[in-house]
Amino acid sequence: MLGAFVRAFRTPDLRNKLLFTLFILTIFRLGAVIPAPGINSAAIREQLEAVQAQDTTGVFTLLNVFSGGALFQLAVFALGIMPYITASIIINLLTVVIPRLEALKKEGQAGQGKITQYTRYLTLALAVLQASSIVAMARTGQLFQGQIPVSSYMPNQDPLTLVTIVVVMTAGTGVIMWFGELITERGVGNGMSLLIFTTVVAGFPSGMTTIFQEQETWVFALICVAGLVLITGVVFIEQAQRRIPVQYAKRMVGKRMYGGTSTYIPLKVNQAGIIPVIFATSLLYLPQLAVGLIGPESANPVVEFLNTYFVTATHPVYMATFFLLIIGFAFFYVSITFNPAEVADNMKKYGGFIPGIRPGRPTAEYLDHVLTRLTTPGSLYLAVIALLPMVALGASGAMQNFPFGGTSILIMVGVGLDTVKQIESHLQQRNYEGFLR
Amino acid sequence: MVFGRMAESVRRLLGRPGAVDLRPYSKLLEAIEAREPELRELSDSELTEKAAELGNAELPYDRGDLVELCAVGREAARRALDERPYDVQLLGVMALLDGHIAEMATGEGKTLAGALAAAGFALRGQRVHVLSVNDYLARRDAEWMAPLYERLGVAVAWISEESTPEQRRAAYAADVTYASVSELGFDVLRDRMVTDIADRVVPEPNIALIDEADSVLVDEARVPLVLAGAAETTEADLEMADLVRRLTPRVHYEVDVDGRNVQLTDAGIDAVEKELGGIDLYDEHDTSVLPRVNLALHAHVLLQRDVHYVVRDGEVRLINESRGRIALLQRWPDGLQAAVEAKEKVAVSETGEVLDSITVQSLVLRYPTRCGMTGTAMAVAEQLREFYELEVAVIPPNKPNVREDEGTRLYATREEKEDALVEEVAEVHATGRPILIGTQDVAESELLAKRLADDGLECVVLNAKNDAEEAGIIAEAGTHGAITVSTQMAGRGTDIRLGGSDMADRDRVVDKGGLYVMGFGRYPSSRLDDQLRGRAGRQGDPGASVFFVSVEDDLVANNAPQTRGYEAEGDGAITDPSWLEMVDHAQRVSEGNLLEVHRNTWRYNQLIDVQRGVVLEHREAVLTDGLGDRQLKHDCPERHAELVEEVGEEEVARAARLITLYHLDRGWTDHNAFLAELREGIHLRFLGRRDPLDEFNRDAVPAFKGFLDEARARAAETFLEAEAGEDGTIDVSAVGVKRPSMTWTYMVHDHPFSSALETVVGRIKGTVGSGESTA
Repeated sequence: MLGAFVRAFRTPDLRNKLLFTLFILTIFRLGAVIPAPGINSAAIREQLEAVQAQDTTGVFTLLNVFSGGALFQLAVFALGIMPYITASIIINLLTVVIPRLEALKKEGQAGQGKITQYTRYLTLALAVLQASSIVAMARTGQLFQGQIPVSSYMPNQDPLTLVTIVVVMTAGTGVIMWFGELITERGVGNGMSLLIFTTVVAGFPSGMTTIFQEQETWVFALICVAGLVLITGVVFIEQAQRRIPVQYAKRMVGKRMYGGTSTYIPLKVNQAGIIPVIFATSLLYLPQLAVGLIGPESANPVVEFLNTYFVTATHPVYMATFFLLIIGFAFFYVSITFNPAEVADNMKKYGGFIPGIRPGRPTAEYLDHVLTRLTTPGSLYLAVIALLPMVALGASGAMQNFPFGGTSILIMVGVGLDTVKQIESHLQQRNYEGFLR
Repeated sequence: MVFGRMAESVRRLLGRPGAVDLRPYSKLLEAIEAREPELRELSDSELTEKAAELGNAELPYDRGDLVELCAVGREAARRALDERPYDVQLLGVMALLDGHIAEMATGEGKTLAGALAAAGFALRGQRVHVLSVNDYLARRDAEWMAPLYERLGVAVAWISEESTPEQRRAAYAADVTYASVSELGFDVLRDRMVTDIADRVVPEPNIALIDEADSVLVDEARVPLVLAGAAETTEADLEMADLVRRLTPRVHYEVDVDGRNVQLTDAGIDAVEKELGGIDLYDEHDTSVLPRVNLALHAHVLLQRDVHYVVRDGEVRLINESRGRIALLQRWPDGLQAAVEAKEKVAVSETGEVLDSITVQSLVLRYPTRCGMTGTAMAVAEQLREFYELEVAVIPPNKPNVREDEGTRLYATREEKEDALVEEVAEVHATGRPILIGTQDVAESELLAKRLADDGLECVVLNAKNDAEEAGIIAEAGTHGAITVSTQMAGRGTDIRLGGSDMADRDRVVDKGGLYVMGFGRYPSSRLDDQLRGRAGRQGDPGASVFFVSVEDDLVANNAPQTRGYEAEGDGAITDPSWLEMVDHAQRVSEGNLLEVHRNTWRYNQLIDVQRGVVLEHREAVLTDGLGDRQLKHDCPERHAELVEEVGEEEVARAARLITLYHLDRGWTDHNAFLAELREGIHLRFLGRRDPLDEFNRDAVPAFKGFLDEARARAAETFLEAEAGEDGTIDVSAVGVKRPSMTWTYMVHDHPFSSALETVVGRIKGTVGSGESTA
């Protein structure tokens, strides 16, 4: 394993790619701590912890995670890559609705290039919107829930300063987007994922330090061990797959029979990935938003109901809903990304079959059966991992700084594995053995 | 470095592939012209001497030498060919010498520009291989340009399919060698199989100058050149051929819309299982029958006589789809050939196994310097940059192009399209204007010709069936009143001069408006459309072009999102602009698919190239350095010593070399088969959210591990069995060491059976990709 790393650095081409990636990530982190003009970030930092303690739902934390902690610092990269993510989701949804986009998508590389271009424009538009709203919120003190006096971090509020901040943040998003594309193109791994990965990991040291300072040593040790166990477990399950053998019967190569072993459909235990967690989190954010809009003190029974059950993340009803939503979304997402009937049809079309099973409907049924049996434990696993921080929060109020939040770990492991695999693939293209066996 | 990157990024951002700046070349034109009077005074031998003087320096040419080369070349061409190269041709020469692709329209004199550049390289001591699309052009160009080369003191030769190894070796020894890309590729492949250094024919690669560069580098690059050797003869599977003949279409089997795949229906499976005595085709333990059924079905349903192959002299001959010519020495892979032979009830030839393959990329990238010329390069400029690190130089035409391109006429059905075309032909033909009709394939050209003949419109047909004469026929396509029906690539490289090849009747034809080009359907890429259009309007000639398309055309039917709901007029014409746009869209989809195939060929071959490199390096050492002998001496010292005593060192070394080479080649053939198998199903890995290419590499690396050791161990085993014969030699064939009795080339699309599934997978990938970006 170490040998493979050394070899990765010895291969000039690959070394350049790795160094380039690290270089870009470093600049990215720098931009996340440089405050936008007209912002006194020292004043914010002093009181930030108190603010984060207030945010029990994790939604703001999630936003902050996607901005690499830059949101609360009103840094140059305050928006992070969130606008880009939102833009690509929107464009992808629009692709289904707008025939022109759908047509472009089918045109291969050239069409895809145009779609990417639209995504970039939309990202910038969203960035302007989001930057404006952040500046507006910062100006009224809403951003920090009134905990930090506005004048301390934003002494100058004339229009020119405000516009400058918006422009700088928008430009920051543009630069991040470019960074992402640069890494994808000239570095290692998927640029966007790596940027998210970096922001997630960036929060670790400070979180661990806080625990170390505020808790007993054995609690700290326990958390470290728990974190390691958790990561190992997640890696293990993310790698787990069921291999369904497939044979192709369209060729005859002399008298020898090849295959049987090399061709298979790998079905992952967690076939859905992290999407269900993100969906569920976003959905549960809605009641909170509604309550916030109407006002938590309202006597409206609906608001009261929501306030009791769906605003505090530690409430059992909230947790149960979260749990069930994740499981539901996991099944939903698997069903839209893996259509057994379509796969069976295509296998049939090209002469592939699962030994012992007739092509067509029987194959589809078989695949469906296996998939359902896999997704059941897979979705349970997702839900449990995602719920861990909440349970930890419930168990001990002092653990808000627990850095091994479900979403963070899933992102970290997912991106980490992908990137390592890509490095490995580079090595293998030169006929070297990789890291993962 | 950083600036280069930024410039590249900006260029990419603008989405505009750049072309080479021609201004530095243009500046030299005046100086070249100024040299002319003086050079005209020289005698022939003095001119040759001038050319030889240019060889006293290394490449690249500095500005002064470049001026001299162009001036001398121009004078030599004037004397030898009676053609004084135009300024634009010299621009082409300079672009070629700088290693670019020169885009020059048809009739601009690409061949001459290429020859001057080749001579320029050769004068500086480089060996130049001029690669053509086919043997005919290689030979024609070499013979046509021979006087020019002679005047410049450069030796030239050509290679064709019939050339013997001796002739090839002699031809490759010349300064400039003309060969078709497949002949060169197969020579390289065969050289990798030799067991004696003296058998090799291809020398070290220096310069590749590629004619019709887009055809060679893009169209041909999708199909790797595969060398196969005869392995064994199998029985004709007449039983299966007979069985599938009794099946009913749409009841027992279904064909895809795109006609590339056929499958049994449930009823078909039942019927076949019953016919074969109630077996289970999909049995877990015995799956040997199913491939036979599938192959027979494929041969019976998808491969049509006279479209995909012709039967001639009791043999099945393939037709090269991209060119519409009979492909000599090409066969279908993996038992399909035998199935077609069983279908046609001709003698079954030997089955083969793949010995080795080479992609056009690897072949061309062997050359440190590459350049080329073509009429349509800008459309593929990005691919040329991505795959070959080549830039395109757009050479302006000598005289402006005045051809009128009408665009596309769309019809609802194929019949209506044909009716409209025939009507148009009759109308135009009545005026005596020459007409060239481009069709998609051989069968279509035959049908159309018949239809025209029925309507009293006599025409000549150019397709694979009269390959030999087609250059002569196409040269006359500009004659007054001529109607020529041609497949896509037929007669490429031959100019159509108005008024016939001698241009005797030119004025009359010019008055009628020049050559009228009609496309019977749009081609899978707009570049191919342009190639057909480019047939008219050479050297500022008048001309016109139009394409007749129907919604039922394969291109539209397979690639357009919808094929219903149009409003057609009485004769079936559809004039709605959004439907005309749909045709363009369908073509772009098709182009995207073709690019994807090309890229996949490239990516999946990278690791294979590395592994092949390891084997070849080892093989080279065995072949030239006696490595096999040393290894065997080390592994089986006693037997080695015994044999040396019996037959002498030299003979043992020879046997050791043959045995070692045999096991290396054997191992590589097996590994190739494994890789092909792996490649076939690798797209399924995507369903588990794995990147198929990564997975391919992940599986291919361990499979290759220990390859050399294993070959060595096997060689040692064989060596122990080897006996000295009575004549004092070691008969290695007695211990199983044999060479394939004959070799031929396969026509392999990188994945013949599974391209559409990858498209589906690609679609899923799109949704998943977007999902993952939210993570």
